[in-house]
Amino acid sequence: MAVKVAFMQNSDCWGCHQSLLNAHLGLLPVLPALDFVYWPAVVDFKHESLVSRPDKDILVGFIEGSLRTNADVENAKLMRAKCQLIIAFGSCSCYGNVHGLANQWDVEELIQRKFEKVESITNESPHEPKEHMPGFTSKIVPLDEVVQVDAYMAGCPPKPEAIISAVQFLLGQKPQPMAEISFCNDCSLNNENCLLEKYELCFGPITSMGCSLKCTDNGDPCVGCLGPSKTVSVRAEKLKNMTNNIDQLSTGDKKNLHEFLTLFLNVPLMSGFDLAGDILKQVSHSGEPKTALANVPADTADIFANAMKFLRDNRDFIKVSTVCDQCDLQIGSKSQMTRVKRDYEGLPNMHDCLIEQGYLCAGPITRAGCGGLCMRVNAPCSGCFGQSAWGVDQAERFADVVTKGYNVALSKEELLAQIKDKIGFTEKFTLAANKNYR
Amino acid sequence: MGKEIEVEPVTRLEGHGGLRLVIGDDGKVKDAQFNISSTRFFEKFLEGRYCEHIPRITPRICGICPIPHHLTPTKAVEDAWGVTIPESARKLRVLLQNAKQYSSHALHFYALAAPDFLLGPFADPALRNVVHVISKMPEVGAMALKMMDFGQKLCADIGGKSVHPISAIVGGMKKPMSEESRDKFLKQVNEQVEFTKKTVEIGLKVVEDYWDVVANVGVVPTYYVGMTKNGVHDIYEGDIRIVTPDGKKIDYDVHNYLDALGEHIPEHSYATHMYYKPAGYPEGIYRANTLAMINCADKMATPLADDALKAFREKTGPISHHTFAYHWARLIELVESIEMIATLLQDPDILNPDCKTLDVQPREGNGVGVTEAPRGLLLYNIWSDAEGLCKKANLLVATNHNIAGIEKTLMHVAKQVFEDKALEGLTLPKPWID
Repeated sequence: MAVKVAFMQNSDCWGCHQSLLNAHLGLLPVLPALDFVYWPAVVDFKHESLVSRPDKDILVGFIEGSLRTNADVENAKLMRAKCQLIIAFGSCSCYGNVHGLANQWDVEELIQRKFEKVESITNESPHEPKEHMPGFTSKIVPLDEVVQVDAYMAGCPPKPEAIISAVQFLLGQKPQPMAEISFCNDCSLNNENCLLEKYELCFGPITSMGCSLKCTDNGDPCVGCLGPSKTVSVRAEKLKNMTNNIDQLSTGDKKNLHEFLTLFLNVPLMSGFDLAGDILKQVSHSGEPKTALANVPADTADIFANAMKFLRDNRDFIKVSTVCDQCDLQIGSKSQMTRVKRDYEGLPNMHDCLIEQGYLCAGPITRAGCGGLCMRVNAPCSGCFGQSAWGVDQAERFADVVTKGYNVALSKEELLAQIKDKIGFTEKFTLAANKNYR
Repeated sequence: MGKEIEVEPVTRLEGHGGLRLVIGDDGKVKDAQFNISSTRFFEKFLEGRYCEHIPRITPRICGICPIPHHLTPTKAVEDAWGVTIPESARKLRVLLQNAKQYSSHALHFYALAAPDFLLGPFADPALRNVVHVISKMPEVGAMALKMMDFGQKLCADIGGKSVHPISAIVGGMKKPMSEESRDKFLKQVNEQVEFTKKTVEIGLKVVEDYWDVVANVGVVPTYYVGMTKNGVHDIYEGDIRIVTPDGKKIDYDVHNYLDALGEHIPEHSYATHMYYKPAGYPEGIYRANTLAMINCADKMATPLADDALKAFREKTGPISHHTFAYHWARLIELVESIEMIATLLQDPDILNPDCKTLDVQPREGNGVGVTEAPRGLLLYNIWSDAEGLCKKANLLVATNHNIAGIEKTLMHVAKQVFEDKALEGLTLPKPWID
C-alpha cells in the first residue's frame, strides 16, 4: 500500500522540488509507493484538506523553505501535528539559507526597503501590505527551533539521488530489501563463541541475513552492512543491554559502532541525508533523540536510539567530513595564497586548490555531501550544505583552518583583514542559525 | 446571497498565492484578489555583499528559473563596472539560458498545465496532477521526463549545477564546455527536436479541442512587457518592449527602465503590481511571460519557431489578448529554444577556453541587467561602491511582472463566470484520460 507523504513549502524558491523532479526517470519506481496527500507545487489538495486530517495521519512530511512569515511558522506546526516524521528538506529549513542574511537588520528596515524605498515604487505613501497578509517573523530561525525535526536533508538544493534514496530508505525500499530474519540465523559462531556472549559489540541480531562474506567467519563482529532485518534474533536483548551502557565500551567496540552507524543507516548512499550528523544539532536543542527509521522492530529502534544518545554526548565521535574531502583539486599544490583574490580576478587553473590560488572558498568549513560540484566548474564553494562545526566564529575558523593546513603565506590576522564581507562569505546559508544575530 | 470564495493555496505554481473573490448580494463580483503571501527581502540583504557574489545568491529567488537569476545580475555588475565579455562566453550564456527555457517550458506544459487539459476542468482534484498523467499516459510521461532531463542536464553541464548554477562570473564564464560533453548532447538533440514536434502536436490538438474556451474565456486587453533585439524575439539581451492594448510597440533601452516600469504597492499582496508608467495605475497594468513575448516579437529568432508564430497570428490576429493562448505561445518559445540549442551546440566557440575577460576592475556606479526568464522579464539594477561591494539593489523579477495582470484577468473571468454565466454554453472536449 502506498504511504502518505506531504510536502510543505515555506518561503523559498521551489528548487528542492525541482531537484526532486530532476531525478526524472528515476522517479518512476518511487512514485507508485507514495500517496501525495499534500504537495501544492504539483497536486491540487488545498490547505483545508491538510487541516482536516487526523493527527499523525501522514508518515513522512517534508518541510521546505525558510520561516520568513508567520504563516510559515503555522505551516510548520501543522505539519508536525499531522506527520509522524518530519524531514527538514533543504538548507532553508535546515539553516535558514541566504534569506537568513536578512537577520543583519531589523525587520522594519527590510520592510522599509522593499515596500517604501525601492526606486520603481510609484505610490504616494507606500507601506507594508496588510490585508489578508500573514505578517513577517522578526528574525528567520532554523526549522528545528520551532518544531522537532527527525531528519535533515541539507543542500541548496539537496541532490536528486540523495532525495530518492532517502525516501526509499524511509519507506524500507532499500536497494536490498530487508530480510525477514537476522544475520544471527546464518552466523557460523555457535553459542559459546557468540561475540555478544563475550561482551563484544556485534550488530548481527538486528541486521538482515544474506551476506556472502561474513565478518564473523573471521571472528569479527557484524557491523550491519545489509541494514535492518524485519525481525530480530533472541540476542537483540543482549545487544540492547550493551548499548544501554554504550559509553563504557572499548575502543574496538566504538569503532564497530562507528561503522554500524555509517553502514546500517546507509549514510554513504545518502550524501546530505543526515541522521548521523545534524541530528546532533536537533538533540542538543530538544533533548531525547528519536529515530527516523520507519518500519523497524522495537528492539532495533531502541538500539538505534541508544547509539544516537551516545552521539549526542560525544559530538566528535563521527568526524564530519568537509567539502575539501570530496574536492578533486589539489591541496598542497605549487600555488600559494599571497593575498586574497576576488572571484572576478583572472581565471583559476583547474588543478590547484582554489584557496591556494588565492580565492575565497568555503570548502574547508562546509560539511560534505555535494561531491564538490562547484569546484568542478572552477567556482569556489559558497557553503550551501551548512557548517562542519557550529557555535564558533566561522570567519575565525576558516582563517585558522586554512593558515594551518593549506599553502597560504598570510597570517591568520592578515587573511581576516582582507575578507571584506565576512558574513556573506562564511555564513551565506547559515546566518539564521547564528544566535548573535537575533 | 453574497459570498466570499477563497482558494488557499493556488496549486501547481511556483510560490505562495491564494485567491479571494467577493460576490455581492446582487450577484455582482465586488472584489477579486490575488494574494501573494511571501517575500524574502533580497532587495535588502544583498547590501554589503561582494557584487560578484550576488549571482551566487540570487538564483535562490526561483528554483525553476535559477539560470536567468544567475546570468542577469552578472550582466548588471558587468554593466556597472564597464566590463565586456568574450563572444564565446556570450554564446555559452545564450545556450545556458535556452537550455533552461527548454526544460522549464516542458515542465510547465506537462507538469503544471497539462493536467487541466488532459483530465478536464471538472476532474477529481486528487487525480488532476502530473503523477496521474504519467501513470495513465506512460509514453507521453516518459517523453516529458526525457525533455526536462535533457534541458536540466545541459544546464548542469554548462552551469555546474542545474538548480542554482555557479559558472557565470563577472567577465564571462568560469569554463567552456568540454568537447566530450558537447558531443554527448549533440547526439541527443535530434531526438529532442522530434519530442518538441510531438509536444507541439499535442498542444495544437488541445488548443483545437478547447478553442471555444481559448476564444471566449479570459480574453483581457492589457499592456504587455517583454524583450526583443531589433524587434526579434530574444531571451538573453535586447531592449525592453512595451505593447499597448491596441498593438503599438514601444522600445526602451534597459537603462531607462524607470521611465517605463512602475511598481504599485497594493494593500493585499507582497508581490507588487507592475504597470506601464506613462499609462498610469491601474490603466497601465501589463502582462509578461510567453504571450507577452509573442505579442512583442516582430519575428522569432529561428525558422521553425517563426513559422509557428505566423500560424499563431493567423488564428489570433496581430495581437492576442487570449489568456489561454499563453500555453500555445509557450510552445512557440519551446520550439525556438530547441532550435537555438541545436545551432549553438554546433558552434565551436562554446569550446573556446578564452571565455573570460581577465582584467576586470570594480568601479563605483550602477548597472542594469535584463533577460527574459521563462516566466517573464527579469531586471536587476545593482549599485556598486568603488571596491565592488553592493550598496543597493532593485530587482524586478519575472513572475512579479504578471501579478497585476493575473488579478485583472481574475476579475474579468470572475465576472464572466458569476455574472454572465459564460461557462454554461461552452463546448468542452471529452477528457483524454480519466
